[in-house]
Amino acid sequence: MELLNVLFIKPFADMFAAPDFLLQVLWEGLVSGVLYALIALGFVLIYKSSRIFNFAQGIMVVFAALTLVGLHEAGVPALLAVPLTLLVMFGLAVAIERVVLRPLVNQPDIILFMATIGITLFLVGFGELIFGGENKVMITEQLFIPTGSFELEPFGGFLLIEQKDLTAVIGAVVLVGLLLLFLNKSKMGRAIRALGDDHQAALSVGISLSTIWVLVWFIAGIIALATGIVWGARAGVSFALEVIAYKALPVLMLGGLESVLGAILGGLAIGILEKLFEIYWGQPLLGGNTETWFAFVFALIVLLFRPQGLFGERIIERV
Amino acid sequence: MRLFGKLAIASAIAVAGAAIALPASAEDSVKLPNLSYRTGPFAATGIPLMNGQRDYMLMLNERDGGINGVKLGYEECETGYNTEKGVECYEKMKAEGAIVTQPWSTGITLQVLPKSNVDKIPILAPGYGFSAMQDGKTFQWAFNPPASYWDGASMILNSIADGNLDNLKGKKVAFLHLDHPFGKEPIPLLEALAAKHGFTLLPIPVGLKEMQNQSAQWLQIRRERPDFVVMWGWGAMNAGAITEAVKTKYPMNQFVGIWWSGLDGDLKLVGDAGKGYRSLSWSLPNSESKIMKDIKQLVVEPGHSLINRDAGEFEWVFYQRGVMISLMLAEGVKTAQDHFDAKVINAEQLRWGLENLKLDDARLKELGADGMLPPFSTSCSNHTGHSGAWMLEWDGTKFVQASDLLQADRAAIDPIAEKAAKEYADANQPWPVNGECK
Amino acid sequence: MLYRTAGQFKTSYHADHALFPVRQDAWLLGVILVCAFVVIPAVASEFAINALLIPVLIYALAALGLNILTGYAGQLSLGTGAFMGVGAYACYKIITIFPDLNLVVAIALSGFFSAAVGVAFGLPSLRIKGFYLAIATLAAQFFLVWLFEKWSWLYNYNASGAIQVANVDMFGITVAGPNAAPVTQYYFVLGVVAVVTWFAINITRGRIGRVWKSVRDMDIAAELVGIDLMKAKLSAFAVSSYIVGIAGALFVFLWRGAAEPNLFDIPLSFRVLFIAIIGGLGSIMGNYLGAILIVALPVMLGTLPGAFGLTIASATVEHLNVMIIGALIIFFLIVEPHGLARLWAIIREKLIMWPFPH
Repeated sequence: MELLNVLFIKPFADMFAAPDFLLQVLWEGLVSGVLYALIALGFVLIYKSSRIFNFAQGIMVVFAALTLVGLHEAGVPALLAVPLTLLVMFGLAVAIERVVLRPLVNQPDIILFMATIGITLFLVGFGELIFGGENKVMITEQLFIPTGSFELEPFGGFLLIEQKDLTAVIGAVVLVGLLLLFLNKSKMGRAIRALGDDHQAALSVGISLSTIWVLVWFIAGIIALATGIVWGARAGVSFALEVIAYKALPVLMLGGLESVLGAILGGLAIGILEKLFEIYWGQPLLGGNTETWFAFVFALIVLLFRPQGLFGERIIERV
Repeated sequence: MRLFGKLAIASAIAVAGAAIALPASAEDSVKLPNLSYRTGPFAATGIPLMNGQRDYMLMLNERDGGINGVKLGYEECETGYNTEKGVECYEKMKAEGAIVTQPWSTGITLQVLPKSNVDKIPILAPGYGFSAMQDGKTFQWAFNPPASYWDGASMILNSIADGNLDNLKGKKVAFLHLDHPFGKEPIPLLEALAAKHGFTLLPIPVGLKEMQNQSAQWLQIRRERPDFVVMWGWGAMNAGAITEAVKTKYPMNQFVGIWWSGLDGDLKLVGDAGKGYRSLSWSLPNSESKIMKDIKQLVVEPGHSLINRDAGEFEWVFYQRGVMISLMLAEGVKTAQDHFDAKVINAEQLRWGLENLKLDDARLKELGADGMLPPFSTSCSNHTGHSGAWMLEWDGTKFVQASDLLQADRAAIDPIAEKAAKEYADANQPWPVNGECK
Repeated sequence: MLYRTAGQFKTSYHADHALFPVRQDAWLLGVILVCAFVVIPAVASEFAINALLIPVLIYALAALGLNILTGYAGQLSLGTGAFMGVGAYACYKIITIFPDLNLVVAIALSGFFSAAVGVAFGLPSLRIKGFYLAIATLAAQFFLVWLFEKWSWLYNYNASGAIQVANVDMFGITVAGPNAAPVTQYYFVLGVVAVVTWFAINITRGRIGRVWKSVRDMDIAAELVGIDLMKAKLSAFAVSSYIVGIAGALFVFLWRGAAEPNLFDIPLSFRVLFIAIIGGLGSIMGNYLGAILIVALPVMLGTLPGAFGLTIASATVEHLNVMIIGALIIFFLIVEPHGLARLWAIIREKLIMWPFPH
């Protein structure tokens, strides 16, 4: 009875007792969720178009953010540094396509997956060699991201919303909107989707594999830069950021590897649920730090009922 | 055959690597390696410390030709705070004739500690490692001057309780720590003190993957409303915690960190908003002191240093603390040389030197470092020295001294330390204990 | 020349399916074994044994365990590090509860714990496939490491949350702990690894191994010809986790001497996966080749600049090292996606033909 109480009654009683705190928890969850969704989006785009499970998305976030800050430190004005960083990410996309992906066309999934881990290691070493391992400050103000905060008083309590978090959420929504528009309306976008549906058929109607791959990796690079700016503004830029890539994996499981919508909804769901679980169950009952595994276990349970994720393509197997 | 050509190159590299012999060290130098971590998630904290250690050794070699004519062979072996690399570096340095091990990570310290009795190489872990190492009878080869983590925890509590722990009765102290051996180290002492003085201790662990995203931990702090937050953070965790504290508007003057949580670079991230944050420190930066001037003139100006001069790293607490760490080691070398009347000392002699450090005010003044380190001395039964420490406060741009020299509550710590040392020895039988030492 | 197979006739199917259909293979293995058991311990320095030989053997063993699951049964796992942790913690608890138990027995027992945990986390494999399964094994990885951190019974309520290996004697010789001689530890590890490898070679050649391979190649087809998928997959998880658990126990007891929970975190899993894939999935020998490349090469690379008299800062060497490892992984994947084992097979084919390639 006592167990039932602490498991099912007390947490909800706590939520109702301090609704302003609950709102704060939800907001924090939402913000992390948006970031998870952004990283997961990078994974999904690449997976959709090339069946590559791109583990390097996490390090691309770090690399993009470091390039941006590094360029600014070298004296480049912030607004010029952004396009220059994008140029670097484009160069990276071309290099990855030429050096890694092209020789590995048609290899089993796991080989390509390993190759992206190889890319990750290479970029870790390369990035530390060039930018050093120190924690750097994201150039938030120079990019005209507001840094103040709104203090609201819902239910007579206290709710703090940071303007940069709000900017992050709005920015992410705009980015996702543009991306969907691009994928659904532009010629290139449709080519990406065609390639995702059927490689051979797409090739036979004249879609260039290498162009699309460069394009997709470049888009992933843009998303990485956006993620890097937002996350860097919250906690500084350093190689420790790389670990957030792991957080995108359960999002993919939950949402389905091929679904853009799944990545977004999965990201939000995981961000919010893991925060709720940590605050109302994890910390009082399990000694805290449950965020490291909650998302994975949750996604695993969902997968047991839907093996292809919530929005993934139905797996049809034939002998 | 193209494939085999490439293969041949790859295997040639491997064979070349295997075939090389380890270079012999020069005649009159002593090998003082440092298991550094300039890479990985803790690099931010490591780099200024390593730079300080390195620059002091370079300065001594440049200015005095080493110590008594013996060059100081300072050498780094990069571990990235990774215990696996730590073992590799330890073995490598041992094979090359190292006379000291500076393990840095608590994890590496735990691995190396039992081996020190067998390999007979002293471990120097200034201000870190295992607090029970203060018991020199049990831990004959390990040194953690000038203060241990338990000293630090006791001093922080004394400071926030205005000198009398009973003032904390009924209060709540949150202990925000890295979920790692380093962060857990002070918990036994804190628990004992909490039980004795009637305050509530609330340990809040931060996982290695959560260092940069501590919103859950700070939501918990907001919900629990502790009267004080004591932080045991390292690397990226410090920056994350301080930014979150600013965000949640936690009063900075109730937020105190251990000496590794006082990196200037981390506080620079928040600038003015971090005003009032305090960090304990057993070293005081003083760029006008003689040794710092010498380092500036002989190492930094000619460009031999690796420091980031634009960021003003020279003035940082951590950089100058690194200098103090090397100062302690160099003093150990000199003490041993004088005692054994030898120039090139061996590991065993260095152990004696570290056990008989006497850094009193006069000696510190002679070295040109007066006021930068609290005076202390070690003995065979006391491998820490218990120098005490100062509280530093962030004034928006730099750390300034905010207290007189604080002292730890020896009566509370020593029995626990003795017990922990005994438990360690019992668990690792047969463990030699220095019976000669009274 | 060296590999001339002329004159070695097979007169029965049994002979054709022998472990060494070509006599030279047996000789080669004999030479390697003599090297490993006699020559290397006699000439290797303490550094070489502790930083190269023992880790190569232990990592190869862990990769062997993973290879049975991924290479033979086709189930991708990213949770190897955590299963190694289960083995290590189980062995630690067994040794503390029964201090007089023989270490070999303790290590063999600890494998059963990791096997049980492996089967539990292997259950989802019955429904989930491919990358989804890989990510699902990450749930095991993160959950178990968290558990090692929080469950203080596991580390005997040690204040620092780490486990430490005391001196363990076996027949009057110290085999584990700080007082053990490196050569003793080397022989211990080599012995365990040799026995497990022999077991693995035979199990993968036998009925169970063929069942696993059929599941790997197409599980639905395997089910249609009457293979019990549940049994096949779970037995693969059990055997694999058992070997991985033993490797974990060796990892802590015979090599590291102390362990903190995050030692078993995801980088360890990836490292083992690298070894298995670079070495060659579905190959036993590949694990050894992969371990030599992934574990020993960085150690050697680290000593290179010193050997050539270059003074590069240690951190820079480390950065370059990471870059080179990353590049090498990509390089080997491009050159031979089926791993070093396949590369050796090609070389062997050519040697058999040599000097007349056609």
